[in-house]
Amino acid sequence: MNHLLNITKKELRELLTPSSVASVLVVVVLFAALGSMMSGQTESAMAPQKLLVVNNDSDDWAVSQIESVYGATYPDADLSEYITVVDGPLAGQDLVDRMVEVGAGSAIVIGEGFYSNVTSHRTGEMYATYIYSSGGLFGNLSSAIAGSIISSLNLALMTDQGWTEPAIDTGASATYINGDFASGVTPTEIDSAVSSQNMMVPLIIMIVIVMIGSIVISSMGNEKENKTLETLLTMPVKRTTIVTGKLLAAGITGLVFGAAYMVGMMMYTNGIMSGTVSGVNLADIGLTIDAFDWVLILIQMFLAILAALGICMIMGAFAKNYKSAQTLTLPISVLAMIPMFVIMFMGWNGLPLVLQAVLFIIPFTHPMMVMTNLMFGDMTLVYAGIAYLAVFTVAVILATVRLYKSDILITGISQNPYVVRMKAAFSGKKNAE
Amino acid sequence: MTDALTVADVRKVYGDREAVRGISFSVREGEIFGLIGPNGAGKSTTLRMISTLLRISSGTITVCGYDVATESDSVRSVISYLPEDAGAYKDLTGRQYLRFMAGFFADGEELEAMVDRAIGFADLGDRIDSKVDTYSKGMMRRLLIARAMMPSPKLAILDEVTSGLDVVNAYEIREIIRDIARHGVTVLLSSHNMSEVELLCERVAMIDGGRIVQMGTPEELKRRFDAPNLEEVFIRAVREAEGLV
Repeated sequence: MNHLLNITKKELRELLTPSSVASVLVVVVLFAALGSMMSGQTESAMAPQKLLVVNNDSDDWAVSQIESVYGATYPDADLSEYITVVDGPLAGQDLVDRMVEVGAGSAIVIGEGFYSNVTSHRTGEMYATYIYSSGGLFGNLSSAIAGSIISSLNLALMTDQGWTEPAIDTGASATYINGDFASGVTPTEIDSAVSSQNMMVPLIIMIVIVMIGSIVISSMGNEKENKTLETLLTMPVKRTTIVTGKLLAAGITGLVFGAAYMVGMMMYTNGIMSGTVSGVNLADIGLTIDAFDWVLILIQMFLAILAALGICMIMGAFAKNYKSAQTLTLPISVLAMIPMFVIMFMGWNGLPLVLQAVLFIIPFTHPMMVMTNLMFGDMTLVYAGIAYLAVFTVAVILATVRLYKSDILITGISQNPYVVRMKAAFSGKKNAE
Repeated sequence: MTDALTVADVRKVYGDREAVRGISFSVREGEIFGLIGPNGAGKSTTLRMISTLLRISSGTITVCGYDVATESDSVRSVISYLPEDAGAYKDLTGRQYLRFMAGFFADGEELEAMVDRAIGFADLGDRIDSKVDTYSKGMMRRLLIARAMMPSPKLAILDEVTSGLDVVNAYEIREIIRDIARHGVTVLLSSHNMSEVELLCERVAMIDGGRIVQMGTPEELKRRFDAPNLEEVFIRAVREAEGLV
């Protein structure tokens, strides 16, 4: 029993190192933070939403029905605060402007003679108009209220009057997107189609960065363990050449992996573009990716991969051996996972400014959202992303070269003068205590 | 005879800790010079500073007339450094490894001639085409020495070159080092194995605690301390330096 305890204790000491425990804690904190953010987003999506009602009918019966359904959906909501009723006619851009003015993501337009039509066994016109906002999975849930109210009313009318056909004609429903109206589709349907296509991007970027990062850091760990790095650094070649060679090889590998995934994804998206998802043909509503867009996507990917490799080479410099290199892949994984989850679930536009700033600083955010930005014509964010990535990548490469010229690569961080002084100061303080 | 290596009052400081405390020595062309001392004495740090791997905190090192601090590229073109317990790229064969390393010094026919010479030097027979991760420690050391000698360096810097080898392999490596020196290559080696150094080196410097405590030929040192071997010399020299004698 003693031997078993001894062996178990020794194994635990090796397995539960400060770095492995820290890595688990970081992942736990990360998931807790994401859960909290998701919960906030869900709550916000489920809260009462502002609604604009445009009444083209001479009778107010439809308005009172809408208010009644809204009140049933949100029993605690003050209707006067959330529902704005205006008399028609109001359509097109004027309608959108008014919606923006009252802060409503959706509007219900009651057609002329609606009350008299439905009470005379004729179909009445009532349709929804939505303003699309690219806000991740939950970004447009709130706007569903208009469609939901119309569906409820339709069902109630059909039941009351014993109809088998719809009592309400919603044919003019449309979503305002990219400065134009997409007829017959809801933001949720657009989200579903866009997500089906774009959700793969953050995932692919994350996989490529973590995979390539792991390869580079492990390779550095191996070089240190075998002391091949020491030999290499005494060859008659400039350190810049060594760094560039390593970065280039890993960058090409990353690009080949990334391109392979992208080709697979292009085939997947082409399938989607030619058909429809959720009843929405993205090409019909102008949400397409052309050849130039693909070039921009590849530029962002390559720059992000180079930036990741630079970070990994810096991290790898601190690896003592292959084993310690494994734990050093954690920071790069976390840096890739945070934007992946946030972009996938919350989107960029729905985020508070501080979180947007944090995500902007993380270089891997940009290729993860570039496809969506290109689709929705947010070119400022695309070009700003490229510029930031270029500056970040150059800075990281320069830092890598500087590191390769320093002693840290050979002695490790523990012999760095600053670290030695800090250790000395800390141990001095402890002794004094 | 001119000096291939001059080390003058060199220090290496990490924070408040001095790993090397103002050491000075020179090595003549074609000489086999040994740095001996216990683990942690500062031997490897000194070799790494000479090899341009570590920065010098103060003092100067000159290799074949080139200043290590300011002309590191030129220094690297005339030295070959073999770290302690060094390995090679495991996914390459011995021949591929030599060809990769030769690529830093030559190309075309010159490169092929360099590789052929190194293969002859390593004397690994058919195993030169096996992956290096299948090599024994002795075979690996032969390959690495062949790599170090391949570009015909002016100064070979060998750190604990026979460490961990069996008697036969260690003997063969020592013979190779003697052969290298006979061909005009200056050899600077470090070891904590005093008897090996006594067998191999024309002159030695004894390092302890980052300082050179004695320097001379093995015979001179033994006479100076009236000791039967360098091990005894080292013990007495350290005690003398510490004021214990």
